[in-house]
Amino acid sequence: MAEGFTLPIQVIESDGISAWLTEDHSVPVVSLAWSWQGGAGLEKAGEEGTTALMASLLTEGAGDLRAREFADALRDDAISLSFDSQRDGFEGGFRALRDAVPAALRLARLAMTAPRFDADALQRVRARAVAGARQVMETPGGQARRAFWATAFPDHPAGRPTGGTAESLAAIPEAAIRAAHARQIRRDGLLVAVAGAINPAELRALLTTLFAALPPGAPEAPPALPPFIDFGSRVVPMPFPQSTILFGQPGLAVQDPDWEAAQVMLRVLGGGGFSSRLMQAVRVQRGLTYGISAGLDVLYGQALITGGLATQNAKVAEALTVTTAEWRRMAEDGPTEAERADAIAYLRGSLPLQFTDSRRIAGTLLSLRRNNRPLDWLAARPARLAAISRDRLAAVASRLLKPDGLSVAIAGQPAGL
Amino acid sequence: MSRRTALVTGACLCAAAPKRHAAAFTPPQGERPLYGAQLWSLPNGLRVAFVQSRRVPVICQYLFYGAGGGEDPEGLSGIAHYLEHMMFKGSRNVPSGALSQRVAREGGNDNAFTSRDVTAYFQQVEASHLALIMGMEADRCAHPLFPPPEMAAELSVVLEERRQRTDSNPRALFREAFQAGMWGRQHWHGRPIIGWPEEIRAIRHADLVAFFERWYAPANAVLVIAGDAEPAALERLVEQHYGGVPARPTTPRDRAPPPPAPVERRLVTRSAAIREGSFLRAWFAPTLTYGEAEQAWPLEVLAHMLGGGQGSLLHEALVETGIAVTANAGYDADAVGAGEFLVSAMPGRGTAPERLEAAAAAVIEKLLQEGANPALVARSIRQITAGALLSLDGIGAAPRMLGTALASGLPVEVVEYWPSRIRAVTPEQVTAAARAVLGAPLDAIGWLLPETT
Repeated sequence: MAEGFTLPIQVIESDGISAWLTEDHSVPVVSLAWSWQGGAGLEKAGEEGTTALMASLLTEGAGDLRAREFADALRDDAISLSFDSQRDGFEGGFRALRDAVPAALRLARLAMTAPRFDADALQRVRARAVAGARQVMETPGGQARRAFWATAFPDHPAGRPTGGTAESLAAIPEAAIRAAHARQIRRDGLLVAVAGAINPAELRALLTTLFAALPPGAPEAPPALPPFIDFGSRVVPMPFPQSTILFGQPGLAVQDPDWEAAQVMLRVLGGGGFSSRLMQAVRVQRGLTYGISAGLDVLYGQALITGGLATQNAKVAEALTVTTAEWRRMAEDGPTEAERADAIAYLRGSLPLQFTDSRRIAGTLLSLRRNNRPLDWLAARPARLAAISRDRLAAVASRLLKPDGLSVAIAGQPAGL
Repeated sequence: MSRRTALVTGACLCAAAPKRHAAAFTPPQGERPLYGAQLWSLPNGLRVAFVQSRRVPVICQYLFYGAGGGEDPEGLSGIAHYLEHMMFKGSRNVPSGALSQRVAREGGNDNAFTSRDVTAYFQQVEASHLALIMGMEADRCAHPLFPPPEMAAELSVVLEERRQRTDSNPRALFREAFQAGMWGRQHWHGRPIIGWPEEIRAIRHADLVAFFERWYAPANAVLVIAGDAEPAALERLVEQHYGGVPARPTTPRDRAPPPPAPVERRLVTRSAAIREGSFLRAWFAPTLTYGEAEQAWPLEVLAHMLGGGQGSLLHEALVETGIAVTANAGYDADAVGAGEFLVSAMPGRGTAPERLEAAAAAVIEKLLQEGANPALVARSIRQITAGALLSLDGIGAAPRMLGTALASGLPVEVVEYWPSRIRAVTPEQVTAAARAVLGAPLDAIGWLLPETT
């Protein structure tokens, strides 16, 4: 049965670095994921995208290997090594066949300790990033996201795009990229998660090889997230037949005792699939959209409640009215007993599906660590979920949902607003 | 947020992803099949494939039909995809929407997709719920309802999907126009899978039913099960649920060849809505099911060598020189009917379109004249095949590859032994395929340019 399904998690330590491991030798593949706090959260206004550019450049030449040689070394053995600058953190990771793990380690270590930042690689990666940033702004989704975050958090890194803007990317000096590398890639403050065909002894050696040579000291903490600014609605005019809509409001802290109750309640309101109230009301009954969802979006230890949909310009007002009405109905009455049971059954039953591939398992473990969850969080989750009553869900809906306080960013030519 | 329909477009215009397969052939002595799928058939013609994976107690079911957007009748593009949406509106023993709800109630996921060649419905659940999903899938295979009162709202959903994917995306609109320009607006390869808007609106209930009757027979379907099950028990379960689906006659697909030459040789679109340009160049090409099929595997190697990322010829000549910010080549060997070989690039800031086009043409001209460099062919073969075993990590890849190949009329060896098929490709074969396909004056060129340039 699916009750509390989880693969056993071992805690492996070496040289002061700890890793969570789910060991599984049924497939000859190993996935590693690791992270630090920081990321775009450490960038000042105008510097956005510096850390993302640095992340891209780590795999564009390191040690004696120029960019193409480094790429060939990865691809000859089908090693997927990448680094990612996020809103409040920085992640590295690789997946490799078991036989290629030594090569993956060598390349990952080189990338972190001896990136070349060659001028030609920087020029090429910068050009691609600038084009990418400009392309994002061609799309209604890109424009709506930019407007939403910039207006909700105008004076904080969370309000700026992690990948940078065309303007910021064009101006970032090489020295700033090197500085971002120096402040981010450290031996301390590391969280590591591993899944696949590797045993504890091998993992201990791996941790030393990969991380022991990094400079000591943890990356500094990014500035705390300021309160979400309720901005009402904001429209970015775009010449398309359809509007893309993002909506959001404050949520709760990751450590809030109501966290899982909020997950259950939001599964009923706007979770994935066809059963949610929003999907039923907006798509199935009225045909107003291809998809609508709402849920928790975690950043800086906080979650916002955000959601989105796209609908033809003439229907924006109707879609928003229906969405707000569902928000209000849930805030006032909470879910029904049947909805509670269905949502909890889904969240319990879906646990084994998170353990089908090593990359996903490593990612799941890393998220648990980043959210400061205990080792038995997944194993004990079904029991915790089962204990959540309908009344508690109604209370958390009443506490959290603000039907009159939804901030809405729209890109398109909405009619009738 | 995109639910229900992962619309798989036939021509991958983005990166040349590492590829799979190998055509029907005798595998080298001692070569082990990649997935070791068990195959059998039911008396009603349904073919079944099973890939066991006992890593976690999870199972997935995929039911593939050998029909996709390419089978839409002329003037009614979008039927295959609209029908896929309507397949969720109930069957004899399952009310509208209940399939997804019941799967979710057990913690599972379900969805479907329509490509040019196949339509597939799938669920992933904890292993003990296999009978539940089999019963519901078999029920809609045999007796779907297509309730007329639900057609209007679902039509709106499909049109919103089209607005989201295509009409509000100038690049997608351009790719659609490029395909139509090259193959013809009503050619099966030139029509969008989701359909032309006016034709989607023209689809009637009777059209859906006729399409279902014509293409959704058990003998035109492939059931793929992957995950944690016992073969004997699984066989009984398949027989119990699918054995009773009535057999119906099937007729093979009959796809037109490409036009003698691209209908439109050059398409230039200027758009105020875009900020970066885009270059496309495509050639008609054989596939494993059409034309000079022995060129299909060499063309996969050629695509990697020409535009498979760093170290490829186009990357070297266009991206490392700053002429372009991206440059790729793409080709799919395992398509049904005629295919295409595609080169794409995004110009660097300030690069004149003519300069990029000439530089790309020079790369191809040099390759055709000098032939494929054996060292580069060897490197491409190594990089394409190096990660074959990675697809065992997860249970979705095997059923997708097996189902697509089998429902496209290809033998299972195409999937099970693709790495050795790629390894067997010689530089001479790559050269010959390149000369036959890229050397033919049958290409189409497309430019999407910002209005200000």
